[in-house]
Amino acid sequence: MIEIKNVSKWFGDFQVLKNINEVIRQNQTVVVCGPSGSGKSTLLRCINGLEPFQQGEIIVGGVKVNDPKTNIYKLRQKIGMVFQRFELYPHMTALQNITLAPIKVLKLSKKEAEERAMKLLERVGIPEKANEYPANLSGGQQQRVAIARALAMEPEYMLFDEPTSALDPEMIKEVLDVMIDLAKEGMTMLCVTHEMGFAREVADEILFMDYGQIVERGTYEEFFKNPKTERAKDFISHILH
Amino acid sequence: MRFAYEFDWSVLWRHPYGIWILKGLLVTIEVGLLAWIIALILGIFIGTLRITTWRWMRFLGTAYVELFRNIPFIVQLFFWFYAGPMLFGEKLAHQINRIPDLNFYVAIIGLGLYTASRVAEHVRAGFASISRDQYQAVLSTGMTQVQMYRYVIIPYALRIIIPPLTTEFLTIFKNSSVAMTIGLAELTFQSYRIDAVTFHGLEATTGAMFIYLFLGLSVVKFMGLIEKKYKIKGMVGR
Repeated sequence: MIEIKNVSKWFGDFQVLKNINEVIRQNQTVVVCGPSGSGKSTLLRCINGLEPFQQGEIIVGGVKVNDPKTNIYKLRQKIGMVFQRFELYPHMTALQNITLAPIKVLKLSKKEAEERAMKLLERVGIPEKANEYPANLSGGQQQRVAIARALAMEPEYMLFDEPTSALDPEMIKEVLDVMIDLAKEGMTMLCVTHEMGFAREVADEILFMDYGQIVERGTYEEFFKNPKTERAKDFISHILH
Repeated sequence: MRFAYEFDWSVLWRHPYGIWILKGLLVTIEVGLLAWIIALILGIFIGTLRITTWRWMRFLGTAYVELFRNIPFIVQLFFWFYAGPMLFGEKLAHQINRIPDLNFYVAIIGLGLYTASRVAEHVRAGFASISRDQYQAVLSTGMTQVQMYRYVIIPYALRIIIPPLTTEFLTIFKNSSVAMTIGLAELTFQSYRIDAVTFHGLEATTGAMFIYLFLGLSVVKFMGLIEKKYKIKGMVGR
């Protein structure tokens, strides 16, 4: 369970998060949408401690993220993250990208790590790309390797930061399919995305953020059929075409 | 062309001058290589300090770079040679001053420390060219800051900065000639020595010039191979 309680964050004078409250239960998938600059990515980075915040608290699996006594590195092992621009290590092959953290952090042997990596590459559908460098992979393939890299730590939670925004339309589906499978297998996920097909299929809840606030929340039906605020209505009219 | 001056190129190989030049070249190569090892290791370390999240470490890195790159190398060398031993107290200073070939070691350390400040800035430039999300991606897998730099960021940044590092590697051999001012018998020193004995400084200096050129071109060739071997796929290379 991820509990976000009264979280506020400032960059200098500018408040990026305004009193955010949210609970993501085990096995739930929550989709966050909203215009750029609304604080979605920042919220995600607060959850695994990549960004500090000034007020409130975030508790992941019973561990308080913003407690100086928390071993944040240990906590991050349980929270996988996928980025908009993949962020694979360009000087390593797909296999090396996936095995690095299991070998260095979990202290798996190279053999164990590689077996785990190959299983994951099969799961995301590209075992034949194991020895390719990121530059030789398409965007969709790179993102699937990035998902495998996150899963290799066997996390309990997954954070997705606009995982399909940098992809060609044709490649979006191959990445979404992997994410949908994950959600259906019971992964606890928080996804910043504007892929509403994905939201309809697996989201237990949709959050709509604007100017650092959660303006609206509800199930897919509630949010799309019956938006309460003008801002949400306007937003929906722009993303559904 | 006719000159009143009688050329005698044999001063480059005649006994004992040929040996002098070879010995000088050997010292130049030794000083350059050993100083380069110091410069590379220390430079990577200092460069990393400059961007860590720990404020006082950043301060330490910045202080180092500004101190060593803002003082002329020749002044630094004089300082280490004449004042350096005194930093260890009077008793130890006497012992240090009795070390045979002290100028050789001072040249290596002085050149290494100076070049490290320059390497550190290249390393920092390499770090700056890597996106913030890349750092965060490494941390998100549970790796510590040290692991992040050790396994991903430093190997990545070093590949990016091979071209300016090649220049630093070249320059370290050229700068080693400054060590003649503390009496180190390296290549430039030996060519002056030949001049002093034979009055054929023109030939001796020309000889030294071509040897430096050849040495530099060898470094370029070597670094070119390294660059090729470690080229990141998909990036522009030569």
